[in-house]
Amino acid sequence: MFKTLTIARRELMGLFYSPVAYVVLVVYLLFVGLLFALLVLAPGAVADPGPMFAWNHLALMFVVPFITMALFSEEYRSGRIETMRTSPLSDFSIVLGKFLGALAFYCVIIGSSLIYVIILSAFGRPDFMPVITSYFGLFLMGMLMVSVGLFFSACTQHQVLAAISSCAVLVTFGILLQGIGGLLGSIISQPPAWLGTVQRVMNYMSLEPQMQHFSMGLVDTSHIAYFITGTFFFLMLTYLVLESRKWR
Amino acid sequence: MASGADIVVKNLTKAYGKFLAVDHISFEVPKGSIVGFLGPNGAGKTTTIRMLTCFMPPTSGTASVAGFDVFTQSMEVRSRVGYLPENAPIYTEMRVAEYLSYRGRLKGIERSALKSRVESVCQKCWLGERLRWPIGTLSKGYRQRLGIADALLNNPPVLILDEPTVGLDPTQIRETRKMLADLAGQHTVLLSTHILSEVELTCQRVIIIGRGKILAQGTPEELKQECARRNSSGAKLVVEVRGPAQQVKMALGAMPGVENVEILSDGPVCSLSVNGKLDGALRELIASTVVERGWALREMRTTGTSLEEFFVQITDPGATNPSLAA
Repeated sequence: MFKTLTIARRELMGLFYSPVAYVVLVVYLLFVGLLFALLVLAPGAVADPGPMFAWNHLALMFVVPFITMALFSEEYRSGRIETMRTSPLSDFSIVLGKFLGALAFYCVIIGSSLIYVIILSAFGRPDFMPVITSYFGLFLMGMLMVSVGLFFSACTQHQVLAAISSCAVLVTFGILLQGIGGLLGSIISQPPAWLGTVQRVMNYMSLEPQMQHFSMGLVDTSHIAYFITGTFFFLMLTYLVLESRKWR
Repeated sequence: MASGADIVVKNLTKAYGKFLAVDHISFEVPKGSIVGFLGPNGAGKTTTIRMLTCFMPPTSGTASVAGFDVFTQSMEVRSRVGYLPENAPIYTEMRVAEYLSYRGRLKGIERSALKSRVESVCQKCWLGERLRWPIGTLSKGYRQRLGIADALLNNPPVLILDEPTVGLDPTQIRETRKMLADLAGQHTVLLSTHILSEVELTCQRVIIIGRGKILAQGTPEELKQECARRNSSGAKLVVEVRGPAQQVKMALGAMPGVENVEILSDGPVCSLSVNGKLDGALRELIASTVVERGWALREMRTTGTSLEEFFVQITDPGATNPSLAA
């Protein structure tokens, strides 16, 4: 575990050295600031930062791939992977270390949005419990997003390809699944029974309904299970990709 | 495992599809020795090294490092091997001391001992004045030294160095060679290089690999002798004498063991090439005869028996496997 944390710390530091990470931070703050100004800070509105958190995934699904794209790709390209994999470290420590490092940076990014909560509390008295559950939801969603990004970074030595692939998958989870589910329901006039099941599955797999619940202060174990199993699934895939590279 | 050997390779093979990058090679590296691992580009050096450092598994065969199998006891091997990969890839945004501390923690060095180990390897690799420098601002030579420092960090019994002097200036190359010579005895070193003079100066044994196979192995002297033996018609003694060329030729031609003498250049100082049994006794006889006759001996050298010539000869695609490839 000590070695895993050592890798995590280096990855976190590496991200702070990277200019891309700061660009990503600024883009995220701008987007959340826009949500805050349009949805929360409206005159006469209730002091509820919920809408700001509920739509956070729209920015994060484009932001996170830029954090994760270099995690493995750059190691492959530079040849540092050889130094790393000939050190007395298990592949799982490497995967977990990089995951935790990127997740820590993700936490810094979402933590920066606290500034808007502070501004809101200067003008009103928001309920802090939904704020806490929202951050909890964002953290869980970050775990899934980072693991997806990590997986695609482990698949290729081209950072841009890793970022685009991660974006594609995250957009599918963030918008497309729910959109397609809704579209199917609207174009088929007499939907068969199985279509309802498909729609429910698609809805469950989408990020937006999950985040809506968290932003309303609802902590549903099915949502927690969704993020944790998804994270575990992609971390295992990353581990398998890394293992399989040995045999090529 | 053979006693006294830190690296034992038996029938090691690596196949990429139908292509055999490493083809049933076997060799040993005795404990505490420096062994040069030579071969042209694409010979299979790096693939072999990568298998020995557990970066990739072999297709067949076995290899053990420091008494542990590279396939089944990978973690034990990795904690006992200091490895410098080709081009020493390093995190450029980190500082020298910071990077070495990071690597030390990954290698499991105790926190209490880490600082002193970092200082010790920095001193050994002449990095003392660059401890606070960002790696990105270091020259290639300094990065190479940092890679060597990293390999030495946990004081491993076995060091595997892939082209350690690439990018260094002549002074640094000389210092690195001296450092490698100092490491002999304390560490077992497998040194992959293209620079033959480096091997002659630092290595006790040499392994030459080509087209995935071991072409020759032995001490540099054994390889040179083998070169002379295989090349008996090609090996020549060049003698430069101040004296009449024809008389010198006759005097040399009359000596026992001399088969043929050829005048290479004439004049006040003549140069002759001698073929035959070119042993030490013949050279002594030539020297004394020249002095007795009142001529002046200016130079006497053997050509056609250098390690470089042997390397070129043996790695030539048309060359056959010599007897030394045991």
